[in-house]
Amino acid sequence: MIGHLTRTLLSGITLAAMLGVATVSTQAATLHMAWSQDATGLDPHKQTAFSSLRLLELIYEPLVRVDASLQIIPAVATSWEFSKDGKALTFKLDPKAKFQDGTAVTSADVKASFERILDEKTGAAARANFLSIASIDTPDPATVVFHLSQPDAPILTAMSDVNAAIVPASEIKAGSIGTKAVGSGPFKLDKWDPNAKEVLSANKDWAGGATGVDGIEISVLPDEAAILAAMRTKQIDFALLNDPLVATLVPKEASLQLNRVPVLAYHVLQLNPSRKPMTELKVRQAISCAIDRQEVLDTASLGEGKVTGPLTIPALATDPSQLFCYKRDLDKAKKLMAEAGFADGFSATVIGATGEPPTAAAEAQVIQSQLAEIGVKLDIKMMELNVYVDAWLKGDFDMAIALNGGRADPYTMYNRYWTKAGNLQKVANYIDDTLDSQMQQGRAETDPAKRKVIFAEFEKHLAEMSPWIWLYTSYSYTAQQKNIAGFVPTPTGTLFSLSKVTIQQ
Amino acid sequence: MNYLMRRLATFPLVLLGVSILVFVAIRMVPGDSITAMLGTEAGLLTPAQRDSLAAYFGIDQPWFIQYWRWIGGILHGNLGISVTYGRPVLDVILERFPLTLELAVLSMIIALVVGMPAGIFAATHNEKLSDLGVRIVAMIGQSTPSFVLGLLIIYTLSAGFGVLPAMGEFAPLWQDPLRNLSQMILPAITLGFAFAASVTRISRSAMLDVLSDDYVRTARSKGASARSVIWRHALPNALIPVVTLSGIEFGYLLGGAVIVEQIYALPGLGRMVLDAIQQRDYALVQGSVLFIAFNFMIVNLLVDLAYVALDPRIRLGES
Amino acid sequence: MRILRAIFSHGSGRIGGVIVGVYLLIAILGMLGLTPHNPITQYRVDRLHAPNGAYWMGTDLFGRDVASRLMAGIGQSFTVAFFSVAFATLAGTVLGLAAAWLGRRWDGVVMRIMDVLLAFPAILLALLIVTVAGPGTWTSIVAIGIVYTPIFTRVVRGPALSLKAREFVDAARTFGSSSSYIVTRHLLLNLVAPLTVQVTLALAWSLLTEAGLSFLGLGTQPPAASLGLMLSDSRNLMETAPWLMIFPGLAIMISILGFNLLGDALRDILDPKMRRAPA
Repeated sequence: MIGHLTRTLLSGITLAAMLGVATVSTQAATLHMAWSQDATGLDPHKQTAFSSLRLLELIYEPLVRVDASLQIIPAVATSWEFSKDGKALTFKLDPKAKFQDGTAVTSADVKASFERILDEKTGAAARANFLSIASIDTPDPATVVFHLSQPDAPILTAMSDVNAAIVPASEIKAGSIGTKAVGSGPFKLDKWDPNAKEVLSANKDWAGGATGVDGIEISVLPDEAAILAAMRTKQIDFALLNDPLVATLVPKEASLQLNRVPVLAYHVLQLNPSRKPMTELKVRQAISCAIDRQEVLDTASLGEGKVTGPLTIPALATDPSQLFCYKRDLDKAKKLMAEAGFADGFSATVIGATGEPPTAAAEAQVIQSQLAEIGVKLDIKMMELNVYVDAWLKGDFDMAIALNGGRADPYTMYNRYWTKAGNLQKVANYIDDTLDSQMQQGRAETDPAKRKVIFAEFEKHLAEMSPWIWLYTSYSYTAQQKNIAGFVPTPTGTLFSLSKVTIQQ
Repeated sequence: MNYLMRRLATFPLVLLGVSILVFVAIRMVPGDSITAMLGTEAGLLTPAQRDSLAAYFGIDQPWFIQYWRWIGGILHGNLGISVTYGRPVLDVILERFPLTLELAVLSMIIALVVGMPAGIFAATHNEKLSDLGVRIVAMIGQSTPSFVLGLLIIYTLSAGFGVLPAMGEFAPLWQDPLRNLSQMILPAITLGFAFAASVTRISRSAMLDVLSDDYVRTARSKGASARSVIWRHALPNALIPVVTLSGIEFGYLLGGAVIVEQIYALPGLGRMVLDAIQQRDYALVQGSVLFIAFNFMIVNLLVDLAYVALDPRIRLGES
Repeated sequence: MRILRAIFSHGSGRIGGVIVGVYLLIAILGMLGLTPHNPITQYRVDRLHAPNGAYWMGTDLFGRDVASRLMAGIGQSFTVAFFSVAFATLAGTVLGLAAAWLGRRWDGVVMRIMDVLLAFPAILLALLIVTVAGPGTWTSIVAIGIVYTPIFTRVVRGPALSLKAREFVDAARTFGSSSSYIVTRHLLLNLVAPLTVQVTLALAWSLLTEAGLSFLGLGTQPPAASLGLMLSDSRNLMETAPWLMIFPGLAIMISILGFNLLGDALRDILDPKMRRAPA
């Protein structure tokens, strides 16, 4: 602190003394962290908000995890195996795994956890991913067998989500999940003051070994410019950032480091093919041809991201420039509009959520200006997030700007929209036999090479039918002081590697 | 006393109106506690899952039953349970209220300490260059949006001087007074600037007003010194409009300062209500709006009573 | 006319009058589209340019001309301010007069409703109205208007009550004037002074409230510009492109300064007691 002060001007010193900053504690082993949006709850099976998942991943553990390259790695389970017919999935549990109350993690806890997720009374949104589970066997305390009603390759990836976390059977019985957080993860939650702060301390019994810090204190700083200001003055060691306008300022600070990693979530312009004139394939294709995706990315996100097709998973993604009209073609767009009988264009409303993502309003404005060139007059309506979600779920929009979450498996990611039985069919409003059968094939296939071919076809067809206009994927940003070592950013956005982060002196 | 009773008698009526207004308004906003918790994932729920979550959040009953239960609870001193905090609404409010109260008091102190002398100074130097200077500063204060001032202060301090009071990890006054004050001073200045500006302007014009009154002229003509005229005769009378303004402003501040709390990451009432609206925490929104309205009415009543204390000529309850 | 002359012979009134006049001119030019560039045209090759010869106040994230947007934004902000204050003045006058004139039960009902609106936290009330009705120019106008209605109702009711009790109204009554004639002729004339002052102050508040709503994402909708929206859009670009905050920030401050100066001058001119104040 003294060395830091000598650099500043005299007025800086008096100010510092006045404001009492010299008393900022430097407990070496506590990581001071900040984010702008707080977790919304503690039930790992029910919470789906980004910040909730990031918090709960530090406290709870699923059976398996995905690493930075999206490969499945052990968590509570040390090994797993599909049966030959693909209809049984067996897990061996880690004998060292312990809940934070000291009891061992057994197969009974795993069974109870999944039964809780599958119970409709729980209200777990993730239940939709596990409907193929017919029964669960526990031959011994360290072995769990899931019997499936049909081959289901993506279920393993779904089990890597914290929404499939293993919770103590005793806590389920006591009905205290959501009010008390007892997991088997690297940190214990000591205190949670919603929308203000969280205090986490290291779990000494964690099966994954010792953590790099003694604890984490998370502060909620709603304004990201204020987070950056707090990092400049070294109050915050580590922060999660959403707005590319703020994140791009971090590298300009000598003492700070920006970690960015492409994520699976995608920015998209959702058309509503049940509303005229988007019912016409040619109109949708014209819109796709009229949009310059790179320019949307460059303007709204300062170029922070990559133009993408429907598949955002690196192992499966194809070169987007090969997809339908990924190079802007105004002549083709005008021709398609004329063929559809809309040579003079039409008017429509596009909805977006304020600040979610932070680039939503900017994307809408660039698209509005680009579509004006083919005579489409867009009216922008920015809404409070929940009002937007309500309209979105009802499919009550002409077009919507969205940032939709990605999954490590394309089936889990898209079956909700593009299969006939998909839960969000009425949001997508587009039924297509080809897409449906491609999804079913991809679900049953376990050979990665064959899956890649199936999903490449799926992506090509989806881009050509243009029910939605996929735009780009952006980065997940974390900012840190340079003396923080060991953080590994991943495409899922997880902060799990904070368990091994250390603070260098 | 009679007046006091009559004023207090209108409280339940007004609070009833506020309760209906907030209850209806928050339910008319699209989206509910379920979409607030799950976002777009809410679309994955089956109807049975939806029903069980609605029962969990207490939004499965018809609205009039919900309202009846809520009002019934209030009569027993129970404002309901906040779904985000998992605790009684009143506990949550009382935990956030001290900060809001402290911020309001600090801003008012800043406003009065800076504003009143400045106003009196300007009034006694009426239409001179120094008067103009004070008035211009005051007007700038009144015309700067608080978020502009707040962002500028944070940016200038952190980027220009490398200092900033501790953000987040807020320390209550009674735990660590020094740290607490260091965290509160900038938000208080941000709010106090505009407040002080209003006080300056109102005390200047009140002072000018009083100085032209007959009894002050009389005092002057009887040879009282300028200083004694101002302090003994003019000031007590000029205080009335200042008290009115500060009281009303203070009443507003007790409702929380949403934007300033947001920028400085203070866990006050204003941000709590905003978050509660965004998370569709109905019980918390209703409870806190009722609480804020009650405080506002109490402060207003106190302001009216202060009139009597300041000026015995005023009898209350006439109009 | 007499009042205009009085304003211009009053020191701060002159400054305030000139400022408000210039803003009105800019607002009209902005609304007629007489701006250097089209305020919503995106010159995307010229994104985030600092002020220069072609763009006097620089360009924004989309390459739109800030000077043109500022003109259009002043037009938009003034529209919201004027219409919302007009709404509040009209509603407040009608309610205040009705309460004072009808008296008894009506007075009680109207004033208790106003108490409810007054006790309801102002920014939350505006916020709820806008979230329910969906953001837009008219919603902002109505929301801000409703928030300020109780203040105008009070401003009107007080003087109306004391005027009603005064003799000349009684006199008019005994001479057989109809009650609507009495209300309009006598009461309204005597209310002009307090209302005018309140209006200029409310205009300043209204500009700030619109800015606050825009800061929370509930004000003017893009791509239209308002001073508040321009300011709030600029907050995370403050370091990269400071001109995006400086110009709308100054514009909002100077306009509120203008309204305040004008309001003060009007108070001096219209308040008979103030006229006696030592010059």
